[in-house]
Amino acid sequence: MKKENIRNFCIIAHIDHGKSTLADRILEKTGAISKRELKEQMLDDMDIERERGITIKLNAVQIKYKYNDEEYYLHLIDTPGHVDFSYEVSRSLAACEGALLVVDASQGIEAQTLANLYLALDNNLTVIPVINKIDLPNADLEKVIKELENIGFSREEIVLTSAKTGEGIDTLLESIIKKIPAPKGDETAPLKALIFDSVFDPYKGVVVSIRVVDGVVKTKDIIKMMQTKANYEVVGLTINNPKETSVEALSAGEVGYLSASIKSINHVKVGDTITLKDDPASIALPGYKEMKPMVYCGFYPIESNRFEDLREALEKLKLNDASLVFDPETSKALGFGFRCGFLGLLHMEIIEERIEREFNIDLIATSPSVIYEVLLTDKSKIIVDAPTKMPDRSLIAKTYEPYVKTSIFSPKEYIGPIMELCQDKRGTFINMDYLDESRVTIYYELPLSEIVYDFFDKLKSYTKGYASFDYELIGYKESNLVKMDILLNGEIVDALSVIVHKDFAYQRGKLVVEKLKEIIPRQMFEVPIQAAIGTHVIARTDIKAMRKNVLAKCYGGDVTRKKKLLEKQKAGKKRMKQIGSVEVPQEAFLSILATTDKK
Amino acid sequence: MKHCYIHIPFCQNICSYCDFCKVLYNEELVNKYLLYLEREINSIYKNDILDTIYIGGGTPSSLNVKQLDKLLKILTKLKQSKTIEYSIECNFSSITLEKLNLFKKYGINRLSFGLESINSKNLKILERTESKRQIIKIIELCKKLGFTNINIDLMYAIPKESIKDLQADLDFILALDVSHISTYSLIIEPHTKLAINRVNYIDEDLDYKMYQLICKNLADNYDHYEISNFAKKGFQSKHNLCYWQNKNYYGFGLGASSYIGTTRINNTKSLTKYLQDKYILNYENLTKNDIMSYEMILGLRLLQGINKDQFKEKYAKDIYDAFPIINNLLNKNLLVDDGNSIYIKEDKVYVSNEILINFIKE
Repeated sequence: MKKENIRNFCIIAHIDHGKSTLADRILEKTGAISKRELKEQMLDDMDIERERGITIKLNAVQIKYKYNDEEYYLHLIDTPGHVDFSYEVSRSLAACEGALLVVDASQGIEAQTLANLYLALDNNLTVIPVINKIDLPNADLEKVIKELENIGFSREEIVLTSAKTGEGIDTLLESIIKKIPAPKGDETAPLKALIFDSVFDPYKGVVVSIRVVDGVVKTKDIIKMMQTKANYEVVGLTINNPKETSVEALSAGEVGYLSASIKSINHVKVGDTITLKDDPASIALPGYKEMKPMVYCGFYPIESNRFEDLREALEKLKLNDASLVFDPETSKALGFGFRCGFLGLLHMEIIEERIEREFNIDLIATSPSVIYEVLLTDKSKIIVDAPTKMPDRSLIAKTYEPYVKTSIFSPKEYIGPIMELCQDKRGTFINMDYLDESRVTIYYELPLSEIVYDFFDKLKSYTKGYASFDYELIGYKESNLVKMDILLNGEIVDALSVIVHKDFAYQRGKLVVEKLKEIIPRQMFEVPIQAAIGTHVIARTDIKAMRKNVLAKCYGGDVTRKKKLLEKQKAGKKRMKQIGSVEVPQEAFLSILATTDKK
Repeated sequence: MKHCYIHIPFCQNICSYCDFCKVLYNEELVNKYLLYLEREINSIYKNDILDTIYIGGGTPSSLNVKQLDKLLKILTKLKQSKTIEYSIECNFSSITLEKLNLFKKYGINRLSFGLESINSKNLKILERTESKRQIIKIIELCKKLGFTNINIDLMYAIPKESIKDLQADLDFILALDVSHISTYSLIIEPHTKLAINRVNYIDEDLDYKMYQLICKNLADNYDHYEISNFAKKGFQSKHNLCYWQNKNYYGFGLGASSYIGTTRINNTKSLTKYLQDKYILNYENLTKNDIMSYEMILGLRLLQGINKDQFKEKYAKDIYDAFPIINNLLNKNLLVDDGNSIYIKEDKVYVSNEILINFIKE
């Protein structure tokens, strides 16, 4: 493979702007795959991804394309499209020389796209602006072209496509070849290959997606991971075109998969550099970061005898997901479970859904928490990633919570509601940029916990879905935090405790008890629900006692039907968790996220 | 086998709440139906001497005199014990002196009337018609003819019904001075007119208040012996007791259920199939554990509950060994053991499902 004929590129796009469909169309156009083989969105291979329209795991495909009698090798590297996965995005960008910036012709640029564009520019990528979905009846080409011009592209370089009809795909392939530079790099230098993804295969172990930057890697080579220091012998090298094909070697500029009987994903870190053990590179590739969970919550099996099954499920998911962390924890209310850490809320929801769907375990997820820092009166500092770990108030000197800088991207008519929302969420205004006369980016500093709570839902409802946002962690700030407990029938339910800002506790407590009253069905006796800080009750409501649950009618001796109705009731109860003497449905544990004051 | 249920699935009018097995009355269809009913009885009935026969519906009294005569003639094949309780369901609009005399002639000694309500607002929702005057006249006539065992069905918890409305219905029924009263809160069953029209249930608390009102009104003259049933002394429905006491019974006719040996059988609800002699829809063979489970969920509907000695005699097992969960339920005051029997107290009867599900296997 001639290095000059390789083009490594990725696609940057907001969710739903047609990234995967566009990738499919390129595969189809270049003959890499026939229309018949094309399951909608070939590159996303998990069900949940396809359903949610998000790409979670990356994928790299080699496409052969003849242009002016020269054979070109296009490596399309797929990237995740959600803010939870921005580090993974940055590493897959680093594996490329170019990027397609795909913008929906009817929606225009979104915050996410912009954030990833800046990431691409930081990585010195050549960016080709693409306006997709031009076939849509509500496409507003002029508006979107203006937006792209405002962020520095010229009208001439914009490629117009419709992934649906195939229009513009040829032009796009041509600009990829003409504009995106061929990879540089030195085949004779010591090996440097960037890990930008990994996947667990039950037969091969961890399969690593790599971009060779310098040197050559061959089968039987002994490789070394520069961060984790782990050594392995290369068992297989493959490319995906888009069927798996074995190759002898991968050299500078090439993208492919490496397997080396790697059993633990902990040895394979996205962003790490692979080199040869006997001829190591002196310095690793830049940009490596340890991925740290930002959000924690408890996962508990509804049926307590499924604890081991849950452990197995988490271990299996972890094989493919180094950013997922978990440790056993015990809750008085829920029994044995795991404290799990995630990159963000979406990541958490995806894992929860996969456990329920793929492993068939009914779960209770407790309300998500960020990581707080607490300075104790004895001057020592502790980390609190779960409300139950919050020390007694008498021992606390100061509390700190993580803050993020958010960029909110919106039509200007929503500036007012957005600022109101950010103010409500304890935000500090930083500044505001006009992208053009009608669009703004508003920058705010906000506590991460507010983002985790309901910021995204609120933002959508305050702006009728027009605003998008992105955030990055900027550090910790002092804050007046308290632990709010929820009591059912007079007993604290530890799994419902939550850490809140003191000024907001009363309002949150009221919302939560009301929501619980809605969710928890009537019991055989009246059940008070209280929210309390320490011993001070700040909100209360009561669930009335059950008055009626009886099969009154008897008809011609049809008692099998009566039994069936009772069986159905019994099955319904199985999905509830017995806490003390109260039966609580699983949704109750997320009621802490309850919001009713939607605009 | 000492008990037999006969189903007559014909009505002159279809009520909005009814999900029983019924069709609109059609003279020809009834004649044909009676032929097949006879065939079913002939093929299954084993000449047992019966303590109870219960003709239910639909509306058995909607048949004309000739058809009723034919039906009752067919049923003479069933051997009757000397103390037989022989019931038939009637409604006030179709009953006549001639029909009542016919019942007398064949030995029917218990009449069960679907009254449901006399409140015009309720009747409109239920899509029924009743005339107070006619009801009073017919009950008087029945008593004059010597029918001493009469049941009246009362329905409550009807949308928009008030406590006052229910009290008026109760006053009217109490004045009729019949031997047995069955009360049912309205159930909105799927596929009924009410369900299709998206009618909602009344408030749970109001429903319970109505139930309490009924218990209070009937307490002086009637014994509350089963969740929905009240009887004067000596007038409990022997036929219904056979269900609650988990006894065997025949069930003949469209949609009827029977319990023969250890098998529970449900007949088809399709008239077409029934008229092709394909009367069985499904059956369930019961294990001893199943039977004991039925014993509990049925027996605990009776206020007197389940006699511990009788249970032991029947199943050669102590009730506590069969269901250790009883101990928990006693501790939670959901069940009572008075030394002889285990029962649900009257104040918990209205939430009895919460208790009964403990006797259902997973």
